Amino acid sequence: MTAAVATAPATRRAPRAGRGPRMRRRLAPYVFVLPFVAVFVAFSVYPLFFTARLSFTDWRGTGAATWVGWDNYTYLLTNPAFWSSLGNSAVLWLLIVPVQMVLGVLVAVLLNNAKLRLRGLYRVAFIVPFVTPLVAVAQIWVVLFDQRYGAVNAFLGLFGLPDTGWLTTSAWAKPTLALLFLWKTTGFIVIILLSGLQSINASIYEAADLDGASKTRQLWSITVPLLRRTLGFAVVLQTLAVFQMFAEPFVVTQGGPYNSTTTAGYYLYNHITRADLGTGAANSFLLVVLVMALSLLFVRLLRAKD
Amino acid sequence: MADTEARTRPRIGSHLFLMLLLAAFLFPVAWALLSAFKPADEIIRSPLTFDPTQFTFDNYTAMFQDVPIGQGFLNTAVVLLFKGAATMFLAPLAAFAFAKYQWIGKNLVFGAVLITLMLPTIVLIIPLLLEMKELGWVNTYQALILPGAVDAFAIFWMRQVISAVPDELLDAARVDGCGEFAIFWRVVVPVIRPGLAGLGVLTVMNIYNDFVWPVVAASTERMATLQVVLSTLAQNITGNRIGADYATVTGELLAASSVALIPLLVLFILLQRHFINGILAGSVKG
Repeated sequence: MTAAVATAPATRRAPRAGRGPRMRRRLAPYVFVLPFVAVFVAFSVYPLFFTARLSFTDWRGTGAATWVGWDNYTYLLTNPAFWSSLGNSAVLWLLIVPVQMVLGVLVAVLLNNAKLRLRGLYRVAFIVPFVTPLVAVAQIWVVLFDQRYGAVNAFLGLFGLPDTGWLTTSAWAKPTLALLFLWKTTGFIVIILLSGLQSINASIYEAADLDGASKTRQLWSITVPLLRRTLGFAVVLQTLAVFQMFAEPFVVTQGGPYNSTTTAGYYLYNHITRADLGTGAANSFLLVVLVMALSLLFVRLLRAKD
Repeated sequence: MADTEARTRPRIGSHLFLMLLLAAFLFPVAWALLSAFKPADEIIRSPLTFDPTQFTFDNYTAMFQDVPIGQGFLNTAVVLLFKGAATMFLAPLAAFAFAKYQWIGKNLVFGAVLITLMLPTIVLIIPLLLEMKELGWVNTYQALILPGAVDAFAIFWMRQVISAVPDELLDAARVDGCGEFAIFWRVVVPVIRPGLAGLGVLTVMNIYNDFVWPVVAASTERMATLQVVLSTLAQNITGNRIGADYATVTGELLAASSVALIPLLVLFILLQRHFINGILAGSVKG
């Protein structure tokens, strides 16, 4: 006791050595999560609550905010521009997701065959677009699909087809944008489906072979049903992505021509540029509700088949 | 040809299909990389040919003159360094606390993490922007680095990875007198290295390609990241050179896009396995 008092540093060290390790073990997790929690609360939790409040005001970024109740929501829900942005996203969804799932399953099934030559090359090549920066690719898209000078029209011209205004006509802007999205993300879907395929037991196919089931039949009766969960997951992911799509129209079409590519995500951005923050916040929440409802619906639909 | 035969060796049709798709997938990037070395008028006059005798660096030299792409690279590098380091260090550390310790509020915080994973990112853009304004951080590195510096997805994924580390390993280290942080640093980190590699490439890819937040929060020329510079390219070129013709703009655009593509392509080719693991794990994000 006296010795401990005499040497101050030792006193401080002694109790730590005694109950230290256990105490430290109890305190350690708090220290470990603290930096994360600080950033998380400041830049995720707080803004989320702030958006919720903002969506009931008419705030334009400066001055005092007035509480307007549900006005922003009713304004949006009765605004044709809001519905047309959802409509544009829905059309893009139709142009993208079904095509992507069919293509994805076909490619994944082919790549799942260990005897396929150049398998490694295909797997790497298909994922290249997913890795490339979207903005760079979108710029390339603008050049490739230019009506007068683009490589696409030059190529089609070889077959005597007339020049098409891929990005300048409302009819073609959406499909051209959808093609960019398909090109960019299909490799990623293939990888997800491949991981799903790898969990299917090969003996099922051997049995089907013995029963004389054709390859097409096996694809429909074995692969697709067993891949349902993975497919459902992929559909939900892409639905989220399509309804949030923003960078593609921002770089390639700026929402035009005639708002034909003003997606739900791009429309939301328009509120920000006009400093119409209350409406923007309300739009965010409507979009969240829609996206979550759609995701739940897909999950339900795919489960119902069980 | 019998069906069993087909299972062992894919038919010619499958190869044809895959080859066509391969061509379609590689064409845009390959075309851009090659065309950037063509004389500008040739790119628009005959977009489908490549004449090696006319090989030129003109588009690159013009682009480096007209476009602040060096500044863009620098800004992206700064963000990559700080945001990347924060994610790579703090996310596994917090995940370690989630996976291997009992503490008050753990489930609450983790539940919040899961909820943010499901929210579309654009929901937070407006309030975050306002928060940046309040802090005086608009057009600063802080704005580019701090929000999302410790990605919720990284926590979620690393928690899975660290849960698989056997507790006996940690206890053995404790018996040897290891402190709690030393256990993380000397035992956990070496064991989860493959997962960390996947997280690393995914983090680099996400930060390098990130566009929506940077364009909203820091779009001045001094603060613009590479992707933001690229996105305003066409306007910049025509603005800097009054009367710049379409050919010049296109040439510079392709050169700039190539310059932005190449670092990630090289990284991808070198680390493709980690990339694919990272992307697969990242897909849980939603």
